[in-house]
Amino acid sequence: MIEIKNVSHTFAIGKKGKEKKVPVLKDLSFDVAKGEIVSIVGKSGSGKSTLLNTIAGFMTPEHGSIVINGQETASMSEVTHAQFRLENFGFIFQNFQLMPGLTAFENIELPLKIKGIPSAKRKVKVKELLQQVGLENVSDHYPNELSGGQQQRVSIARALVTNPPILLADEPTGSLDSETEQDILLLIQSLNKALNLTFVIITHDEEVANIAHHKFRMHDGELVKEVL
Amino acid sequence: MLFKDQVDFVRQHLKKNRLRVFTTVLATTMGCAFLIVLASIGFGLQGSMEREILTDQKLTEIEVYGDPQKKIDVDAIRKMENVRAVVEKTNAQLSANVKFEERTNSVPVNMTEFDNEEKVGSKLSEGRLPQNSDEIVVGYHFAENLLSKAELKEQEKLNEESAENDTTSTKQAKKLGYKESLVGKTISVKLQDYDNDKAINKELTFKVVGVSEKPAKDWLIKNTILFSHELKGEFYNIYKASVKDSKNIKAEKDMFYPEIKVHATNLEAVKGVIAKLKDKGLSVYSVTEQLDDINVIFLAFKVGLIFVGTIAVLIASIGIFNTMTMAVTERTREIGVMKAIGASPKLIQRLFLMESAWIGILGTAIAIVISYGISFLSNWLLPIIIDMATDSKQFQEAGIVFSHIPWQLILVASVISIGVALLSGWRPARKATKIDVIQALRQE
Repeated sequence: MIEIKNVSHTFAIGKKGKEKKVPVLKDLSFDVAKGEIVSIVGKSGSGKSTLLNTIAGFMTPEHGSIVINGQETASMSEVTHAQFRLENFGFIFQNFQLMPGLTAFENIELPLKIKGIPSAKRKVKVKELLQQVGLENVSDHYPNELSGGQQQRVSIARALVTNPPILLADEPTGSLDSETEQDILLLIQSLNKALNLTFVIITHDEEVANIAHHKFRMHDGELVKEVL
Repeated sequence: MLFKDQVDFVRQHLKKNRLRVFTTVLATTMGCAFLIVLASIGFGLQGSMEREILTDQKLTEIEVYGDPQKKIDVDAIRKMENVRAVVEKTNAQLSANVKFEERTNSVPVNMTEFDNEEKVGSKLSEGRLPQNSDEIVVGYHFAENLLSKAELKEQEKLNEESAENDTTSTKQAKKLGYKESLVGKTISVKLQDYDNDKAINKELTFKVVGVSEKPAKDWLIKNTILFSHELKGEFYNIYKASVKDSKNIKAEKDMFYPEIKVHATNLEAVKGVIAKLKDKGLSVYSVTEQLDDINVIFLAFKVGLIFVGTIAVLIASIGIFNTMTMAVTERTREIGVMKAIGASPKLIQRLFLMESAWIGILGTAIAIVISYGISFLSNWLLPIIIDMATDSKQFQEAGIVFSHIPWQLILVASVISIGVALLSGWRPARKATKIDVIQALRQE
């Protein structure tokens, strides 16, 4: 499903003309099979978010190849990658990244709108997802009227609404208390089982990392597989 | 994204900043209304001038002047392509002293070819065109100038009064003259040479068969008689038999001054006919040529006004640019999220361009309505104000249009206003597409 081969990337840090090149990804290679949950754990600054950004196509690695669903994405144009993301990825962010001016229903509906799905079909799909994540009674609430856990459920529903095969989660429980964290982790596991979804989870939390089928530890841009 | 959803999306965002959007739309409205109203003055004045020129004039009519010493070859002109008719009117060096019942009137002797007048569709207010040389058409004001002796004295008195008071007593003057229709009546005419005080003794009788059309201009008095051109020889002989030693009139051609009017088949043919007449060495006057000259001057005037108006629109565009730039800055995180979940840069750009276009369209639509209001008010109030200031009623009576908004002006103003709005939104929209997703998602 996801094949990462020899991916390397450096950041230029410092004033213009006097920049220092700092390697953040060092020749990384790993595979993720369909229906697997893979977690990448590491400390802040270890490069795990950069790795997720390269997989998502938010940035292009200097070296290496990223093949997703048989398609090389590292060389895709911005426009092509946007369409590819819409078809293949769902995103779960630490800060939920919901639109403050849209209700829970409208936030979930947004990717379908971008995709050009007609209103009637959208309504059916969003209602179904609201039920699935247990938010049908707060569908007309704005994000600031929802709890952290509810916001993350909206975020998950939004990630699922286009039926993507892969979900990329960056610190999905980073802003939640431990009780809500458990709820979200259970939701992720149940979705994985029920829909055979592939998850790539970036986290610094060992408990979150341990729900994965495969766990990788990232340290100074290098990736080491750990036995669970 | 479906177009309807794009519109909804734009509307939602515009609602968020109502005050900012309102002031930007207001600036656009003011700029566009200024452009329309300013240019409408050019259109209004041009229209007024055209109407003034075209009153009493036929667009297909060409006046022809030749060398006074040479006779114009009217037959050759008649044979020219695209010439419908040629009417030769003649002004004689004579006046006609008219007597009807106990009333008299004195008018210049004008002659015309009635058969050709019929061809060009000359209109009468009453009766028909003459068919014989003893039939005549009198001017619209002929009857009211047909005065009895008592009325003549009264008119002299009125003239003295109006000279003293510096006002016209038209209402009173209208009460004078012959009130009934002259059509079918017979009048007697004695010719008089301009050089002599007394009329020639020979009395001629004519039957009035028609009354000319009312002149379009109120101040124009048509106290005339139109005789048949066939009478030229007879009039000359009467004159010659009475006046033996005239200084000015030695031959028939000295008595009559021809005025040739060529009528083209249609408006498009006028230019071609004029060119051919000029080739024959003739001088011509056509209202279409005059209109062409005026149109060129007014075109330059209108372009100038539109240019000045466009500057106002450009100033308003700064507001749109600021509004859109702020919108992009404020929505950086939202744009980042949209890009992350799959919105293409083209879609982001389109949404922002739609916002600036919406501001432009709404501002322009309001400006059009306001401009029509201002135009209507200025056409109604300005003549009243000017007349009050000048203590006259000239402007109200003249019906001068100060402002006119044709659909072409609306089209030009809309294209400029909406185009400028789109251009001002272009850079902020491009900026939105360039937003880095990673940076945007880091924003709180």
